[in-house]
Amino acid sequence: MRRRPAVALVLALSMATVACGTDDNTPRTSGGRPSSGNFAGAGDQATLSGAGATFPATIVQEWIKQYKAVAPGVTLNYQPVGSGAGIQQLTSRTVDFAGSDVALKPSEQAATGGAGNVVQIPWTAGGLAVEYNLPEVKALRLSPNALAGIFAGRISRWDDPAVRADNPGARLPAKGIQVVHRSDGSGTTQVFTEYLKAASPGIWGFPIGKDWPAGTAGTGAKGSDGVTAAVKQSTGAIGYAEVSFPRQAGLGVATVRNKAGQYVAPTAPGMSAALGSAIRKPDGTLVPDYTPEGASAYPISTTSYLMFYASGADDTKTAALEHFAAWALTEGQRLAEALDYAPLPQSIAGPALAAVTP
Amino acid sequence: MTVQLDARPAEVGPLAPPGGNVGDRLFRRLTTIIAITVLVVLGVMTIFLVTRAWPALRSAGTSFLTERQWFPDASPARFGIAALVWGTLVSSVVALAMAVPVAVGSALYVTEYARPAVGRWIGYLVDVLAAVPSVVYGLWGLLFLVPRMVPAQRWLAEHMGFVPFFSNPEGTYGKSIFAASVILALMVLPIVAALSREVFRQVPRQLREAALALGATRWEVIRTAVLPSSRSGVMGAVILGLGRALGETIAVALVLAATFDVNVAILRPGGNTIAANIATKFGESGSVGRSALIASGLVLFVITLAVTVVARRVVRSSGQASKMA
Amino acid sequence: MTGLTMLRTGRLGRAQGVAATLAGVALTAVLFWLTPFQGRADFVVVAYVLGTVGYLGAAAREEGRRSVVDRLAGVLIATTVAVVLLALGSVLVYTAVRGVKVMSINFFTHSMNGVGPRDSTGGAYHAIVGTLEQVLLAAVIAVPAGLVVAVYLTEYGRGRLAGVVRTMVDMMVGIPSIVAGLFVYAFWVLGLRRGFSGFAAAMALSILMLPIVVRSAEETIRLVPDGLREASYALGIARWRTTLRVVLPTASAGITTGVMLAVARVTGETAPLLLTAFGFDAIHNDPFHGPQSSLPLFVFSQASSAFDTAVDRAWAGALTLIGVVVLLTVAARLVTLRNRLT
Repeated sequence: MRRRPAVALVLALSMATVACGTDDNTPRTSGGRPSSGNFAGAGDQATLSGAGATFPATIVQEWIKQYKAVAPGVTLNYQPVGSGAGIQQLTSRTVDFAGSDVALKPSEQAATGGAGNVVQIPWTAGGLAVEYNLPEVKALRLSPNALAGIFAGRISRWDDPAVRADNPGARLPAKGIQVVHRSDGSGTTQVFTEYLKAASPGIWGFPIGKDWPAGTAGTGAKGSDGVTAAVKQSTGAIGYAEVSFPRQAGLGVATVRNKAGQYVAPTAPGMSAALGSAIRKPDGTLVPDYTPEGASAYPISTTSYLMFYASGADDTKTAALEHFAAWALTEGQRLAEALDYAPLPQSIAGPALAAVTP
Repeated sequence: MTVQLDARPAEVGPLAPPGGNVGDRLFRRLTTIIAITVLVVLGVMTIFLVTRAWPALRSAGTSFLTERQWFPDASPARFGIAALVWGTLVSSVVALAMAVPVAVGSALYVTEYARPAVGRWIGYLVDVLAAVPSVVYGLWGLLFLVPRMVPAQRWLAEHMGFVPFFSNPEGTYGKSIFAASVILALMVLPIVAALSREVFRQVPRQLREAALALGATRWEVIRTAVLPSSRSGVMGAVILGLGRALGETIAVALVLAATFDVNVAILRPGGNTIAANIATKFGESGSVGRSALIASGLVLFVITLAVTVVARRVVRSSGQASKMA
Repeated sequence: MTGLTMLRTGRLGRAQGVAATLAGVALTAVLFWLTPFQGRADFVVVAYVLGTVGYLGAAAREEGRRSVVDRLAGVLIATTVAVVLLALGSVLVYTAVRGVKVMSINFFTHSMNGVGPRDSTGGAYHAIVGTLEQVLLAAVIAVPAGLVVAVYLTEYGRGRLAGVVRTMVDMMVGIPSIVAGLFVYAFWVLGLRRGFSGFAAAMALSILMLPIVVRSAEETIRLVPDGLREASYALGIARWRTTLRVVLPTASAGITTGVMLAVARVTGETAPLLLTAFGFDAIHNDPFHGPQSSLPLFVFSQASSAFDTAVDRAWAGALTLIGVVVLLTVAARLVTLRNRLT
């Protein structure tokens, strides 16, 4: 009986707390917002939840923030849980859209109700950076064979002759290499293993796919975020993630030797040069070219896909998603370079835009 | 209260009012029904758990126990708990090896050395240590402890490397089973310390006084009077601590770098436990993957249940032992 | 017994002991100055060993072997206490230092809606709301159920059923929190197809709370003197009214303590929430539909990020969480101290 007032007080306090928070995180100090272009007038009301690849997460989160000014009625939410999980959630229809670095496999298309039932368009492009943590080495250079050797577990020390050959003059420490790979099903892993297979077939004898193959070196971490964090937390570590992750985390990014013999950094022009030679399939998906000819091309460049149901879903949601996709493919691409992504070349963005414009 | 009431055997309970009225019978039935409901709900949940685990168990067969890899959603699916069970057991045992001496020592300090007020304060602090949430231990372990433990791990590997346990020829250090064990040790410590403290308190004062009267030093009192009569009680505390360590999830998930091998060298980065694997793999799992995770959780459940049963046995026998003493 | 042990005083004077210890430490300093020994941690270890050796050596000169063993045991046991205090201190102090730096009004009033990992804005408001609702709902389920089970066990429980219930409660204490989450996930989220929600999280938490509430309530109810019950019966008051009106109010302080400790324990639980509440970035006040965030989940998701801004938020969340949990624990202790039933 004595406790009644106390209980009432706790309840009142919780009620008061429940009433005073806000979802609005737009910084008050920011100057202007980007022009909404022709996209003003999107008056839809919709809540769209998405999940998937961590590769495009940085730019997608920026898009969601800026798109709020274009379509105030539309609330978007993107959970970077990995391509595998994103596709999983799309097939079980627990999300409205998914992000994936690789196109749907035929079996996955069947699970979504047949080919063409799900729209899959490239919405951003980027490079897969090899990130490392070696305070002694400012600019690490790696050839495809050294890279494959490290990730296959054949090269286990930084002062290995293969690494030294790529880095004449660099003070490579006599330390073990700690390889960090993705522990979750990941499109980034698939792209990276596809690259290793294509660029160094003699050394990379492991299977390619979303799951990091067994029997190789290293430890796993969850998401590009987790891999980057793990590399950052231990000196002597090496990992792979979309360029924006190591850049934002302040990690070293290795330059990778391309087919022309140049050591190239993952910059927007380098990625665009590589994407130019990707092969476009009739359904709008792309087959990346991991051994591009150009001297400036960064070989581990790829696109990432947006996926949602073209039919059989809520029509308002589909319309809102198409509108968002169109905005991302045009206005949204202007944000790419500042966030360490590459703007989609017109040859890719054009057909993608046509696919989402009714 | 009164002499004749105290004369009754304790288990008879208070004198009940004669007869029972309607309200009484209803109340009795109501409490019984609710107690049964709790049982039934738990039973139903267990049945659901088993049903959900069944598809994975059936498709994997005995390889569920022997396979190390965890690719339940790949085709063909390959998954098993060999590496996970290994990591779970090793990290817990190493954690206990570190935590038990410290826990028992601090409990002895409280009961045998410290002034009562000081002992009480140490007791409060141990309670606070027990109250710190596991996610905080994980965060602290990941960002504070693991980087600072690298020199210690390197020292162990370089000077004790001839023991297979501590060998680490690659020379890479960081998120290892050993690091996870240290965090687990911190989390188990307060449980073992608090329970041992209670056990030591129950050692009859006469035993200590008898030892002192024979001219024993303080340590000899502990060795001859306190420890022998509380051995099984401390054992029970240790087993309960083991149960806690086996099931700990988040702190381990943060501190371990996921690998799937059965590895004796606890200083090498990598390792995984059943609980941590559920936490990290859950979000991305497909239907087989979820079933497989539930099946691994079932194994963890069975292991901890067995540990609890053993602890109960040991504690009960210790209760009798201290009564006899 | 402390008083009794005080009676025995060794012949080694306090000043001698301190001097011998300091001599050991000084020797360490000289060693580190003259020889290639170096490093702070190494210094502490070597100084500890040499200081102890000095102390024991002095004791050996004045006293017998048994006394030296006794003093060595004393040193080792005191060391374990130092380890406990050091561990606790570094967890609390480091979390506080890192957390305070980031805490602001903004942190408590904003959600993570639309906040990228690199943005320094955003806060834990949505997580705090989620935790409040989930823990409150868990208490609403577990406390009455736990009390009834405790009353059943103490006042009515006889025979085989009571034995089964008691065993079950003991078993529940050992359930790992992630398994409690799996129970609800398999039963509610998948089995009944209700999806992730704050309520599912509350159910998982209530599984963890129930045995704590039952045990503490059972213990305190047993402490209520039989004479009180008998006095009530003598006045012609029925047994059930006696239980509700006499027994439970008398035991209320102990029960409150148990409930608060149970609440403190589950407030910090993370693992079951991953499988039940799932997590959500925006404010979601409805605990019955759709994924929800909570403070431990917030800390977990921010902690695994590579970006300093996110890690800072994790520390601030951890400090908030520790604050809540430690306050509850201390409050529970105060309640017991005030109203000692025995």
